[in-house]
Amino acid sequence: MALVELRGVSKSFRKGDETITPLDNIDLNIEAGEFLSLMGPSGTGKSTLLNLVSGIDRPDSGTIMVAGTDVTQLSRSKLADWRAANLGYIFQTHNLIPVLTAYENVELPTLLLKLSSSQRRQRVELAMEAVGLSDRAEHYPRQLSGGQEQRVGIARAIVAHPKVVVADEPTGSLDAETSEQVQVLLQRLNKELNITLLMVTHDRDVAAIASRQLVLDRGKFLELAEAGQTS
Amino acid sequence: MTRYVLKTLWRHRTRTLLTVTGAAVAMFVFCFVGSVQEGLQRLTSGADAERSLIVFQENRFCPTTSRLPEDYARKISELPGVRDVMPIQVWTNNCRASLDIVVFNGADPDQIQQTRPLKLLAGSWQQFTSQRDAAIVGRNVAQRRGLKVGDQFSIGDISVNVAGIFQSTVPSEENLIYTSLKFLQYTRGLDAAGLVTQHEVLLSSDADPDRVASQIDETLRAGSVATKTRRKGAFQASTLSDLVDLIGFAHWLGYACVGLVLSLVATTTVMSVQDRIKEYAVLQTIGVRPLRALRLVLAESTLLCLVGGWLGTALALLALGLGGFAIGAEGATIAFRPSFDLALSGIFTSILVGVVAGLAPAIQAATVPIVNALREA
Ligand SMILES: Nc1ncnc2c1ncn2[C@@H]1O[C@H](COP(=O)(O)OP(=O)(O)O)[C@@H](O)[C@H]1O
Ligand SMILES: [Mg+2]
Repeated sequence: MALVELRGVSKSFRKGDETITPLDNIDLNIEAGEFLSLMGPSGTGKSTLLNLVSGIDRPDSGTIMVAGTDVTQLSRSKLADWRAANLGYIFQTHNLIPVLTAYENVELPTLLLKLSSSQRRQRVELAMEAVGLSDRAEHYPRQLSGGQEQRVGIARAIVAHPKVVVADEPTGSLDAETSEQVQVLLQRLNKELNITLLMVTHDRDVAAIASRQLVLDRGKFLELAEAGQTS
Repeated sequence: MTRYVLKTLWRHRTRTLLTVTGAAVAMFVFCFVGSVQEGLQRLTSGADAERSLIVFQENRFCPTTSRLPEDYARKISELPGVRDVMPIQVWTNNCRASLDIVVFNGADPDQIQQTRPLKLLAGSWQQFTSQRDAAIVGRNVAQRRGLKVGDQFSIGDISVNVAGIFQSTVPSEENLIYTSLKFLQYTRGLDAAGLVTQHEVLLSSDADPDRVASQIDETLRAGSVATKTRRKGAFQASTLSDLVDLIGFAHWLGYACVGLVLSLVATTTVMSVQDRIKEYAVLQTIGVRPLRALRLVLAESTLLCLVGGWLGTALALLALGLGGFAIGAEGATIAFRPSFDLALSGIFTSILVGVVAGLAPAIQAATVPIVNALREA
C-alpha cells in the first residue's frame, strides 16, 4: 500500500454563482520515500490538493489515506494531533512565528509530542543542523534573510520526524540563488533522511529535482516523466 | 507555549502596559469601593452592633444636641437584661458628612478598658486612667493624623495628650479618640457637667435587644428628657443614613469598574488575535489543537487581567492600610480597612474577568478557517 492514497477525490468551491471544481474525481499514489513534484498553471488546485492531504481542508467526496489513516474521517482536533505526529508543512512564505527565535520556532512542533526535554533539544538541534542554521538559533525571523527564514520553516516541518512533508511553492518567494539552496536542501532531505516529499511548484527547473513529476490540469493529472528523463 | 504567550504580550508592550494599567486603576477603584461596602456591612453586623444598645435623646441627631442626664445610667442598669451601662460624651469637629471627621468619646477609662474590645498597640492604660487630658487614639485616626504616643493633639477647643494608640476588633471604633468622661464634659463650649450624649448599654447574653430597648425608653419617659434606644448597628446606620444610600449607590461603581476591565481587556485581546489570526492558522497546521489555541488566547487575556488586577488590588490594600480612611457624619464613622476577603475578591474577579474577556477571541482563534486564513497574504 502506498504511503499516500487518494481515491476519487473531488473538491469544488463556490464563487458567487459560479462553482469551480479544481479537483474532479482524482486518484493519486505516493510511495514512501518518493519525492513528487506537482506542477500546473496557477489556480488549478495544487494548493487545494496539498491542503487535503494535510487535513486542513476536506474533500467533497473520496478518501485520502495517509500512512494508513483516512484523514477525511478525523475530527478537527484529531486531525491536529495527527498532523503533529505525521505531517510537516512547508509554506510558500515561511510563516514563522515572529515573536519566537529560530530555535523556538523549530521547537514548537516538538512541544506537541510526548518527548523528554533532552530528546526535544536533540531533535531541534538535529533539524537546525540539517538546514545549516545551527549558528542562527537565537535569531528572530526578522533578523534572518528570506532564504534562511525558509530553511527555518523547513526545519520546523521535519523536526517531528513526520511521515510526509508537503511544500507549497517553497521557492516561490525566493531569488534564484536562495531558491537553489532550498532545492538542494529538499533533495538532500529526501535522499539522506528518506523523507517523503510532496512539492507544489510552477517552476519547471524546481520540479525537475523531484524523483517524479506530475502536472495538474483541468482537474486531472498528467504524468510528466520519471526523474532524469526530463528535458 | 507559555513562552509564546509571554513573548506575544511583550511584543506589544505599549498596548500590554496600557491595558494592565487600565485594569489596575479600575481594580483599585473596585477594591476601594469594596472596602467601603465592607465597612458599612461591618457597621451593622457583628456582636457589637447587634448586642449593644445606644440610648440617645429622642428626635436629636448631631451628638452635640443630645443631652441626657448622666445618672440615667443608674436607672438603666437596674433594668433586667442589662449587664453594663457606659455613659458617653461625644464631641466631633464636624457634624456633616466628612472624610476627615474627628470624633471624641469621653467615658470612664476603667470602664473603657473593661468593656471595649481594645488592644493598645502603643502607650499605657495606666497613663490614660491617671492623667486628666490623656487620650487613647484609634489607629485609623493615628494613621490619618500622624499621631504618636506623647504627642499633643489639639482640635477646636480640645487639646489632649496621646497616651496610647489602640486597635479594635470593631473597625469603626478605630476612628475614635477616647478621653475620660470628665475631661470632655468640662470642655469649653460643651458645658455638659452631669450630662452625656448617649449611654451605651451592654446586654446580658439571654436578653432580647429590642425588648430591652423599648423598656429603657418606657422607663425614662418619666425622666426630664425622653430617649430613643436602638441597637448600636441600627443607630449608626440611621445616623449615617444619607451616606448609606450613597454607599449603596457606589457599589454600582464597583460593577462599572469590572465592566471597564472587561471591555478593556476584551478589546486588547480581540485586537491581538485579529492581528495574528493567520498565526493561529499556522499553529493549527503544525498540529496545535483548536482547544489549545483557545487556551493560549485565554491565557493571554487572563494574564493581562491578573497582572493589572493584582497590581490594582495590592495598591488599593496598601493605600487602605496606610491611609486609615474613614467617612463619617454626626459622630458615627465607617472605616475603610484592607481585608483578606477584599484581596481574594480582587484576584478572583480579575481571573474571572480575564477568562470572560478572552472568550470571544479565543473561540475565533480556535475555529479559524485554516485554509482561508493561510491564503490571506
Ligand atoms: N477557500 C477557497 N474559497 C474559494 N475558492 C477557492 C478557495 N481555495 C481555492 N479556491 C479556488 O480554487 C482554485 C484552486 O485554488 P488553488 O488550489 O489555490 O490553486 P493553485 O494552488 O493551483 O494555484 C482557484 O480558482 C481558487 O480561486
Ligand atoms: Mg497555490
